[in-house]
Amino acid sequence: MSDDLIIIHDDQIDVEEIMQQIRANIARRKGEPEIDPAAISQGLWESTIGDTVRFQQQVGGVPLTHHDCDIVPHDYVIDWRIPILGPIHSIVRRLINAEVRRYLDVSLSKQTRFNRNVLRALHHLAQENRNLRQMVEELESLPSTTDE
Amino acid sequence: MQIHQFHGVVAYGDAIGNHILSLQRMLRKMGHTSEIFSEFVQRGFESRTRPCTKYHKYSASGNVLLCHFSIGYPPQTMSWLQSIPDRKVLVYHNITPHQYFAGVSDTFYENARAGREQLQQMCSLTQAGWGDSDYNRRELVQLGWQQTAVLPIVFDPAMYQLKPDRAVLKKCQSLEGPKVLFVGRLVPNKKYKDLILTFYYLKRIEPRARLFLVGTADHMESYLDYLQALIKRLDLDDVIITGHVSRSELVAYYRTADIYLSMSEHEGFGVPLLESMYFDVPVVAFSAAAVPETMGDAGVLLTQKDHAAIAELVSMLTHNDSLRARILERQRERWQSFTPGAQMDQLQHCLEMLG
Repeated sequence: MSDDLIIIHDDQIDVEEIMQQIRANIARRKGEPEIDPAAISQGLWESTIGDTVRFQQQVGGVPLTHHDCDIVPHDYVIDWRIPILGPIHSIVRRLINAEVRRYLDVSLSKQTRFNRNVLRALHHLAQENRNLRQMVEELESLPSTTDE
Repeated sequence: MQIHQFHGVVAYGDAIGNHILSLQRMLRKMGHTSEIFSEFVQRGFESRTRPCTKYHKYSASGNVLLCHFSIGYPPQTMSWLQSIPDRKVLVYHNITPHQYFAGVSDTFYENARAGREQLQQMCSLTQAGWGDSDYNRRELVQLGWQQTAVLPIVFDPAMYQLKPDRAVLKKCQSLEGPKVLFVGRLVPNKKYKDLILTFYYLKRIEPRARLFLVGTADHMESYLDYLQALIKRLDLDDVIITGHVSRSELVAYYRTADIYLSMSEHEGFGVPLLESMYFDVPVVAFSAAAVPETMGDAGVLLTQKDHAAIAELVSMLTHNDSLRARILERQRERWQSFTPGAQMDQLQHCLEMLG
């Protein structure tokens, strides 16, 4: 813990005294917790959300990103250019679109979630493959002892 | 002069919505004609907001249109803004960096990325750029805006002068031990996990402590799953994730909180910081993005995320009455510098800069 944990812009408050008290209290408490909450948090993040940095890298040579998993057409816009008739045409299209999306969105979201899980599984397999390859290379580089 | 405002959706109770309504009142008080336009008019809001398709009746080259920008506009809105002759000013509320949403929400990831790309395009469309913090304004300068200014979010105490929800008030008042509060959408940049980790250490000091996380979790299902799994693994029974709450419920949470703790790493302004100050709740906040600006010389800023030490500080603030009183004294002065009365001169100054 460093000395500059807190900033209080008030001359009447002695920040150093507060820090000393904090340090003394921490020292007084009985030992470290049996678990490491930060490590648990990191582990859960990787298992529920995924390692987002590695996700954006290539999976087995194929450049797949998390964004590619999403198949919902977010940029679909119903616009018009023709005056008078254009807005009416656009309203009808919007109504149809809204009705179709009511049931289609559920399926698209399901597919997106499935795609994400597949990408996650592919990522783990690629990682495992890399580890196995490395192990094979290490074993191959060992001097042979069977001839003796 | 006619000074109108435009935003995608204007919602009552939402920080930007409240700001827009406050600005309208201030502009009218200054003698300007001022209406609010939006892409979608919310139900119950018809008398206060007009659809932007009706703007052609008002449009004129001498008008000023304040375009509030927080996530981006659909392509047809960009075409519409290009087509009108009014003098446009971008009012920038900031966009969460898209990297925070990687793996959490593809939609938010893409919207945030596209929104920032669009922000660049807005530079050639607008005469000036106003940020609601200097942090936001500096981003506009980097993107090429020549004429910039800071117009902070207007904090109108009248919005909070309502009866707190009786059920929430009663429930919270009956709880013993320190009540730690955070208010905000359940999004990764707000760093909820740091709140939970701090709370883990706080429970070792204050076994009866409670953590209230107040805000909507809509479209953040996987992030919510992660947080719930973390809470379960750390065996923390006293973390309450409320979801969306009404205004009166929000007031009840503020009225019963002992400490407001923010670990957020990205805030364009941070209205809940001022709300806490208004409700006399000591604020402890991680110093990032626009947070130190909004806090000014009030509250306690954190420079590191040492969860065990922050838990000690939170515990100390709940018991040390003189320290608490001194912090609250500063906070009472701070929120008052954002009220409509205090912001009137700054708005006038921003308008004068337009010429």
